[in-house]
Amino acid sequence: MANFEPNGTVHHLGLKKGDVGRYVLLPGDPGRVELIARRFDNPRFVAQKREYTTWVGELDGVPVACTSTGIGCPSTAIAAEELHAIGADTFIRVGTSGGMQPGMQTGDLAVISGAIRDEGTSSHYLPMEFPAVADLDVVLAMRDAARERKVRHRVGVAQSKDSFYGEVEPGRMPVADDLARRWKAWIGGGAISSEMESATLFIVAATLRARAGGIMVCIGSPSMTHEESTASMKDFSIDPVIDTAVHGLRLLIARDRAAGA
Amino acid sequence: MAATESDGRKHHIGIKQGEVGRYVLLPGDPDRVEIIASRFDNPKFVMRRREYTTWTGELDGVPVACTSTGIGCPSTAIAVEELADVGVDTFIRVGTSGSMQHHIKPGSVGVISGAIRDEGTSRHYLPMEFPAVADLDITLALREAAKESGFPWYVGIAQSKDSFYGQHNPERMPIAEDLQRRWKAWMAGGAICSEMEAATLYIVAATLRVRAGGAMLILGNPDQRPMTEAEIADSNIDRVIDTSIAGLRKLIAADRAAGRIK
Repeated sequence: MANFEPNGTVHHLGLKKGDVGRYVLLPGDPGRVELIARRFDNPRFVAQKREYTTWVGELDGVPVACTSTGIGCPSTAIAAEELHAIGADTFIRVGTSGGMQPGMQTGDLAVISGAIRDEGTSSHYLPMEFPAVADLDVVLAMRDAARERKVRHRVGVAQSKDSFYGEVEPGRMPVADDLARRWKAWIGGGAISSEMESATLFIVAATLRARAGGIMVCIGSPSMTHEESTASMKDFSIDPVIDTAVHGLRLLIARDRAAGA
Repeated sequence: MAATESDGRKHHIGIKQGEVGRYVLLPGDPDRVEIIASRFDNPKFVMRRREYTTWTGELDGVPVACTSTGIGCPSTAIAVEELADVGVDTFIRVGTSGSMQHHIKPGSVGVISGAIRDEGTSRHYLPMEFPAVADLDITLALREAAKESGFPWYVGIAQSKDSFYGQHNPERMPIAEDLQRRWKAWMAGGAICSEMEAATLYIVAATLRVRAGGAMLILGNPDQRPMTEAEIADSNIDRVIDTSIAGLRKLIAADRAAGRIK
């Protein structure tokens, strides 16, 4: 059980039981929470503490929430733990990532089916042999949403890394050769999206018996030069991934309802 | 060279060259930045983006800043990289931590001379054999300030972990036995407190050839027993904020005496 304050709020998020329902969208950036919650019916601000900003609302009459995780797996694990302690059981990560396969374009969506545990938090939960796998219902809802919205997308594995600059500027790190060798292996394995939170989200969810998944918008690709990647940002918009995630969440709610869940 | 926007602002922290000086205090919590900066002369808000809030001011006529890192090493590495890129060369972490020795009581101040790399970020920089060690000048300045504070103080090693609840509720994790075995080893090695950012701060600083150190307020108990009311009353964050500010003043004075401030 997560740590509660004497006033009944969870220690880091400042939320209490009853503040959120089962379904939570998880962007990294607190500045993006309101933007996402504006797609809910009756959006309202609930709490802001540290990097954790929470808004709630409804979709098709069902309570939904959006909470930021901050950058990285350590703060994401805390968010998932504390949201679960107050009743959330379905977590959907929404955010930006780097495209990892040749031929990908800026703006492509990645529906995350599993994640490379290239981070330090999930090993405090489960041994490295245990896979970080997304919940199948969440994956299918996000894939169907991307299909219905006719957005270019792929379903696949994300690399969840702890070091942003180790990915974008590996050459200047003392372990440059290791980073380059491992990056090549992830691409060789078919990973599609490099980000910083999914692996721990999926592993923590496994231990809590909660459902987790994610949908990311990709920027750049290994076949683009740095200049091409920067130029590709000219028409970049965060809106399609938010719209698709919200639509996917509606599909999931409808299927949960149909299944009597 | 950290990622920079077309307006010259660093990608995540939103700061550009000239907005901060050499010296930065680093709390984890963005809501603590203004509290710390209120101890500076002429405190002013500069930027808030993601978990990164920055205020600046002066101490003894020298520009100083305070930027939050957010919780954990991944966001801390980004803050350090981007601050170093706009001219910072001295980083002092200020925050809260959990006691790892039975004789270290809540309300003590811990000066962090080195950190256990029980996290995933620093290995994207250097192999695990490389130690996460604080800068000696910073450690000495903070130790002098801690001595003068009148509060109980310790100099020693912190455990930098990636999982808050793995430390607080190890028994409910699937790898409970590993967590407990390792925690016992850290205690036996003499670690004084458990926190979530120092190891990566020190390793990134080593690769950037900048100085880093830290002072933490120590809370709780190594067996996770809840604090008594008296212990809670002793656990005032002002203790470590005041100690860090006093230590930073000493460091600035020492840098000035050594001709390191123009």
